[in-house]
Amino acid sequence: MPWFLYLALRQLFPAGRRFPFFTAISVMGVALGVTLLVVVMSVMGGFGFEIRRMIVETEGEVQVKSALPIDNWSELIAKIERVPGVAAATPYATGAVMVLHEGKPAYPMMRGLDLASVDRVVNLAHYVRVGSLDDLDDDSVILSSELARSMGIVVGESLEIYSPLMVERLRGDEVFLPREVKVVGILEIGHQQLDSSTVYCTLRLAQDLYGLTSSVHGINVRAKAGVGEDELAARINAAGLPRGVRAFSWMDSFEAFLWVLNLEKSMIFFLLLFIVIVAAFSVTSSLLISVVRKTKEIGLLGALGARPVAIAACFCSQGLLIGIIGTALGIGFGFLALAVRNDVVMTLARLTQRDEALRRFYQFSNLPAHTAASDVVTIIVLTILISLLAGLIPAWRAARLKPVEAFRND
Amino acid sequence: MTEGVSREVMRAEGIRKSYPSGDRRIDVLTGVDLSIREGESVAIRGESGAGKSTLLNILAGLDASDAGRLYWGEEAIETRAATLRRNRYLGMVFQAFYLIPELNALDNVLMPCRIGDGLDAAARKRASDLLSKVGLSERSHHLPSQLSGGERQRVAVARALVNEPRLLLADEPTGNLDERTGEAVIDVLLGLCASTRTALILVTHNVAHAAKTDRVLLLRAGQLHHV
Repeated sequence: MPWFLYLALRQLFPAGRRFPFFTAISVMGVALGVTLLVVVMSVMGGFGFEIRRMIVETEGEVQVKSALPIDNWSELIAKIERVPGVAAATPYATGAVMVLHEGKPAYPMMRGLDLASVDRVVNLAHYVRVGSLDDLDDDSVILSSELARSMGIVVGESLEIYSPLMVERLRGDEVFLPREVKVVGILEIGHQQLDSSTVYCTLRLAQDLYGLTSSVHGINVRAKAGVGEDELAARINAAGLPRGVRAFSWMDSFEAFLWVLNLEKSMIFFLLLFIVIVAAFSVTSSLLISVVRKTKEIGLLGALGARPVAIAACFCSQGLLIGIIGTALGIGFGFLALAVRNDVVMTLARLTQRDEALRRFYQFSNLPAHTAASDVVTIIVLTILISLLAGLIPAWRAARLKPVEAFRND
Repeated sequence: MTEGVSREVMRAEGIRKSYPSGDRRIDVLTGVDLSIREGESVAIRGESGAGKSTLLNILAGLDASDAGRLYWGEEAIETRAATLRRNRYLGMVFQAFYLIPELNALDNVLMPCRIGDGLDAAARKRASDLLSKVGLSERSHHLPSQLSGGERQRVAVARALVNEPRLLLADEPTGNLDERTGEAVIDVLLGLCASTRTALILVTHNVAHAAKTDRVLLLRAGQLHHV
């Protein structure tokens, strides 16, 4: 081991019973900054990851859409399923409706599913908490959990569905009665928006309510494992879709939202990085104090034949070691905090009696977290680099110190 | 003690040094000539402020002279070159010990070996032997804070000799010690230098200590005089 690294280690962690107070303070400053960065980046990443999971789970990797209803969708699905990389495709119809139960209205989105093919694309059965997707028919619906809870409706009860088509028919003096349907299941995806405002029904029922006859609003496409969504959307578009029909990857469909999400994440990273920079200033301050306290020892090292650059390396190494240890501890603390994040959030919510509000207004039923390897690498590299820079000023000062001047201060 | 005196270890010719003081300069050294041979010990005495430490710093290559030449062996030495060669050529002992507080006695002694990339089994053995010779083998793993002043200075003596230097410069090594402890340290210093044939330049105020060396020089008015 080079002498300057050996001495740096011994100065940071002196032998004997002395507690390395300066080291501990400096390391904890860096560690706390890194902890915050890891936790916040992971939670921000978790939002993106959860949104991707929910979109892909409920809509497939690719959506084929058109401004107008799509006719002859069976032929189109057959064509799409012949595209390499496509695992399956299923049609859907969607739109806003009003539902009424015991005089209590709600205005959810309706989603009509083709029961013959939906399970090959969308894994909704996995999210059905009460009842079964198998019980769904043209006279029944499955409700999202928050919608059922807010309306106070349970499986087996009935509700009425009113569609915007009724207004159109009324203009033609035609009476279009609401459809009374039975609730056969409760579904919970984990996304507050989807869970609070979706009615799942058969494609036939949705087509009737929207007067689509045999048309659909779009087609959801599931990709084979390992096939990228952008690549698959490009392949489907290249396969020759009817005029006005186009395939979008889920990222295209939610491009603006994902951009905002990424921007938020980048801004928060940039702001939190200042915590590490502040911690680095404390490292610089500690090391500068150390240089002043050890003036004579630095002079001695010069008298023993140590080159100025090696003396500088001794103090630079201390900044680097503080950075490495602080980063390692911060990563550890960060993952620990992530492991107990839901308990902490729920405890805080309960203590402030806001647990119901949290469940109702928060985007997810659990605080999501997804730690991207690239985020961790960026945090590690930047923190260690900043810590190394923090050691440069004290190192430069130590290297400039001449032994004669150091001894003269005696 | 001077038996077998042979090669010249260090030679200084016409060393001059002055320091600015307000708008004038104070001449501290006005042409110092000095030569010392292998195994020889020389004491330099002088009043406070006479320039003894300045001379020692110049001889050690820690400070540059205004004029004059310095040779270590046959080689003319400049301050920069001295930094590279000092580790092996010179040992230094200071009045204030200057031990590194985070290292135990043995590691302090080994520090010149680490700096000179010469830390090996032989160096460790030399360090242990030196600590034994200065009577501190039992305290080699003690920190400086756990040692007395005399013990610390003996560690510093061992450190100065661990790289088997050709010349040892000691700047008032007993200045911070009581008389009895100082006597013991001087005896250890002179004994070790004699046994290893290391040349010694000892700067001291103490007449008795100076008398134990081969030659005593007096620094007065910027020049060395034989006593």
